[in-house]
This record gives sequence, structure tokens and C-alpha cells, in this order.
Amino acid sequence: MAISPEPRPVPPISGGSLREADLPGVAAITVPTRAAASTSPFVEGIRRLRKSVTALVGVAIVAVLLVVALFADVLAPQSPIASNQAQTFQRPSWDHPLGTDQLGRDMLSRVIHGTRISLLVGVSSVLLALFVGVPFGMIAGFYGGRIDTAIMRVMDLILAFPIYLLAIILMVIFTPTAGLIGTMKVTGAIAIVRIPIYARLVRGSVLSIKEKEYIESCRALGQHDPTILFKHVLPNCLAPIIVTTTLGIATSIIVEATLSFLGLGTQPPTPSWGWDLKANVAFIQANAWLSLFPGLAIFVTVLGFNLFGDGLRDALDPRLK
Amino acid sequence: MRTYILKRIFEIVPTILMITFVVFVMMRSVPGDPVVSLLGDAYTEEDAIKAREAYGLNKPIVVQYFIWLGKLVQGDWGTSILSGRPVLQDVMIRLPVTLELIVLSMGVALLIAIPAAIIGAIRQNTWSDYTATTIAMVGVSIPEFFIGVLFLLIFSIGMGGLLPSSGWMYLPGTCPTMVCGASIWGNVQHVLMPAFALGVGRAALLTRLLRASMLEVIRTEYVTTARAKGLAERPVVLKHALKNALIPTVTVMGLQVGFLIGGAIVVETLFAMPGLGTFGIDAIIARDYQQVQGFALITAFAFVVINLLVDLTYTFLDPRIRYA
Repeated sequence: MAISPEPRPVPPISGGSLREADLPGVAAITVPTRAAASTSPFVEGIRRLRKSVTALVGVAIVAVLLVVALFADVLAPQSPIASNQAQTFQRPSWDHPLGTDQLGRDMLSRVIHGTRISLLVGVSSVLLALFVGVPFGMIAGFYGGRIDTAIMRVMDLILAFPIYLLAIILMVIFTPTAGLIGTMKVTGAIAIVRIPIYARLVRGSVLSIKEKEYIESCRALGQHDPTILFKHVLPNCLAPIIVTTTLGIATSIIVEATLSFLGLGTQPPTPSWGWDLKANVAFIQANAWLSLFPGLAIFVTVLGFNLFGDGLRDALDPRLK
Repeated sequence: MRTYILKRIFEIVPTILMITFVVFVMMRSVPGDPVVSLLGDAYTEEDAIKAREAYGLNKPIVVQYFIWLGKLVQGDWGTSILSGRPVLQDVMIRLPVTLELIVLSMGVALLIAIPAAIIGAIRQNTWSDYTATTIAMVGVSIPEFFIGVLFLLIFSIGMGGLLPSSGWMYLPGTCPTMVCGASIWGNVQHVLMPAFALGVGRAALLTRLLRASMLEVIRTEYVTTARAKGLAERPVVLKHALKNALIPTVTVMGLQVGFLIGGAIVVETLFAMPGLGTFGIDAIIARDYQQVQGFALITAFAFVVINLLVDLTYTFLDPRIRYA
């Protein structure tokens, strides 16, 4: 739609073409219609994501895992913690499709229930890191000066640590336990080492966004800082945050499995893939199947989030490649 | 250049001080008391007080840290409360094992990743590229210990004990004490599976990074120029493209050092290797303060030195990068 100050018909103008110079007086102003505005970068991104086969495979794996985690009680044929001394080290059979471990526990049920711990820790630790790291990064980048220095010094202090050294010591301080509390401790330890990643990422984005003209116009309109930060700055640095979060879940799941493998994750009897793998390696001669399945479960889960995250990155922010 | 290196070396000191101080404070906030495990069944309150006094554990934490630091500058890394052995001696016994593991695994990573990334980049969107990228995707998704378990299943159990599943054999001449066995073949047998278990994951990550930056570099004008002036494909790829593509890759690999240390701990635990990784994790779990400090010190040192080397590699890869 073209608004013209003069009643005579004006040809519609598409962008800064040479024909603009031909127009008399005030140039016609093109007003973007609703239809044009609706193709936001995110809609574009989702469209691109749907075209990527690997990303869709990732989404499918993640979706299946979510279902397994949610309905673990229904899906698992037996209790993951009920031991049966008469049936130890069984090879895969109809009764026990993945065999049984040294306590006669059904491996399939343990692997199914392990999905819960793995996804819970993977997702919640990243979200926790996100909810702490992003505000700090935004404040540091937006206000600069002493606040920036203070926040980023603390973040650099955490980053200066080799990540596993910090995570291991944190877990020793928290003293690993079983059940939900134990899972929350692991979540906390992994979240702490991941906070600076978000703070740095967001600070960098905010530094460039805050110089943009639309932020200046927000200021000119008299908007308050929180409004500017949450309504105008944050949405513009969402793409890298989303990508980092998805790929971060994959990393967190590996870190959780590693901590469990070292005996510092959620403690038994709560089923955890890393712990099961470690426990069964000791019996690798007796039953090689046992350590295979928890390991495969970790691999498939991490692969799912990696494929999904890779697809998201290509779709949302090609510059991050 | 020389002033830059000196400046960086001076910066290493505060970083190491900070890491060791934080570890010092954190370890002392771990629930549990090493004196209790030291005295064991013979624990009495009187003995505990005496022991704490003897090891200086009754002093304020900051004072304890400075005592540790003061001894450190004289070359004394302290003595383990639990084993009674000097920490430096233990670290020196275990250092060659971990060093060999890490150097070899990085070698494995480079040997796999550089050819795979080059093939993937110059034959983009062909079957060889798809194969390389798919394998790399699988590689970054497998934790080191699961690769290790798979190796154990194939080479140790499947092939009737072709490779030993645990333990260590030193290279001749590196054996730090009189009691350890040493042979070249034995060492190779023991190090193969751990080095590959640790190296394969790095190789996958390196392939993905290097392929992506190779693809960018190959489309630049200087590569076109190099081709246009009649250079053979080989020097174009190796000298012009690869060298420049390595810059962002080296940065990310530097950032990965923290993960490499974790990987070493895990792989050493799985294969029961007497390296620094198992030393560190055992010390942390046993709350052996002095050993943990030794581990933190050597880890922090390795961490900052590798990061310095990464920065210095840039000047080799791109001579335009100069440090004033």
C-alpha cells in the first residue's frame, strides 16, 4: 500500500530503486503490511528447521525420550530397583529383553527409568544456568562500567577452572545422595559451571544490540530500563541462547553421566546410566551386555540433542556455524 | 613478542594462585574431616586435636593457605595426611602416565581429524563428506568412557585379551621407582585403548570445527588467487586453506582443555591407570587436602600453559597476528 500526498496514482515502490528519483515532491512511503511483517526470523527459522532431515531426526529422538521419561512407570516392565538374587546376570531374553544385573534387576526397566534422571538433570541444569546467567549477562552488557567488571570477574573466575575439576569438587561438597535431592545436587553443580557460558554469550550480544537505533528510540520514548531489556534487547539475542541451550543439554547429559560414572552423581538405588555403566564394567567378563545398554542410552540421548541443536543453529543463526 | 610472552607468564601466576586458593577453601568446606579417617577406629578427641595441630589444620584457612604457599615456593608440595607420602613425589610418579595419555590422544585426534576435515570440505556434499560428518556427529555424542567400554569389549574380551584391560607398563627410562615394570611393547599395549578412547571424541569435535572453517576459507579470494596462479591443489589446500582454517579451530581446542582433563580422569579410572587423573579423583573423594592441592596446582598450571601455547600458535599460523 502506498500513501501519496498527491491524488494522482503512483506506481508502488519496492525499496530504494532508481525510480524513486523520478518522483516529484515527497517520495511515496511504503508501509509494511501485516502479511509482510509476519515472516519473523523465528517463523523463517522454523520453516528452515522443518526442511532439515537431521534436525527432524533429532527432534524425533528427543520426543521419544520425553515420552519414555514421562511414562517410565507405565513403560518399564518391572521395578528398576527390585532385586532378585535368583536371577542375576541373565542374558537378554523375553522376560528381560536387556538382561539383568548383578542384583538381578531388570536392565530394561533401569535404562527406561534412567531416562528420567538424565533428561531431568540435562534440561534443568541448563535452564537453571540460563535463568541465572542471562540476567547477569544482560545487566553486565547493558550497564557496563563497574557492574560489568564485577559480574564478569566472577564469571571469569568460574571459567578459569577446568570444568570437571570444579564440578567434581562441588559434588564432593554437596555430598552425593539418592533420589530427587541427589538429582538436584547434580543439577546445581552442573548449572554453576555453565552459568558463565550464558553470561558471556548474552553480554556480547547485548553490547552490540544496545548501540542500535531502535534502543535509542526506546530511550527517547522514555521507556524504563527493564522494559527495554526484556521487550527489546532480550528478544534480539534469543537465537544464540536457544542454540546454546539445546547443545548445552547434550553437554550437560555427558557431564551428568561422567559424574555418575565417577560415583559422584545421583546415588543408587536411583537408576542412573553413568552409574550403571560403571557398576557393570566390573562384571564385563560375566555379562558384556550389561554395560552396553546404559552406554547406548547415553549415546542416543546426546545424539538426539546434538542433531536438534545443530539443526536449530543452521536454521536460526547461520552465522554461528 | 618477548615482552608479550613475559607479560603472559606473569599473568599465569595470579591465575594459578586464584585457582589453588579457591580449591583450598572449597576442599575445607567439604563435610567430613581427614583426621577422622586418619585415626580410624583409634579415634579419640584428644588425638584428633593433636593431629589437627600437627598438620596445622586448627589455624584459620587463609593462614593455612599461606603456609602451604610458603612451603611451595621452597619446593615443598606438602605431605599427604593420609598416606604420609610427599605430594610432589606422587605427582612426579603419575605425571608421565597422564602426559603420555594426553599427548598420544591429541596425536590420534589430529591424525583422524585433519584428513577427515579436508576431505569433507573439498568434497562438500558428496558421499565422502556425508560419511565424515556423520561419523563426526556420532563421535561427539559418545562419552569417552563408553568408547572405552566398547574397546574393552572388542579388543580385551572379544579378542581373547589382545590388549590388557587395566593397569600400566612404563616406557623404559620413565619408570620413577625401582618396582615398576617397563617395556616398549607393554607400554604400547597399555596405552592404545585409553589414548584412542580419549582421542576419538576430540577427533570428532576437531573434524566438525575444522571442516566448517575450511569451507569458509576455501571460498575466500586468496584461495582462488592461489589456484589461479597455477598452484597445485595440494599446496593450495595444505598451505593456504588449512593453515588459516586452523586458527578458529585452535581457539576452540584451547577452550576444550577443561574437558580433556575430565576425560583423562574418566579414562584413567576406567582402565585403572596410575595417572594424575585417578590420583586427583581419589584424593578429592578421600579429602586428602595436600594431595588435592597438588592436583589442583598441576592442573591449573597445565590449563594456563596450554592456553598460552594456543595464543602463541596463532603467530605461527598467521604471521600477521603479532603481539606487541
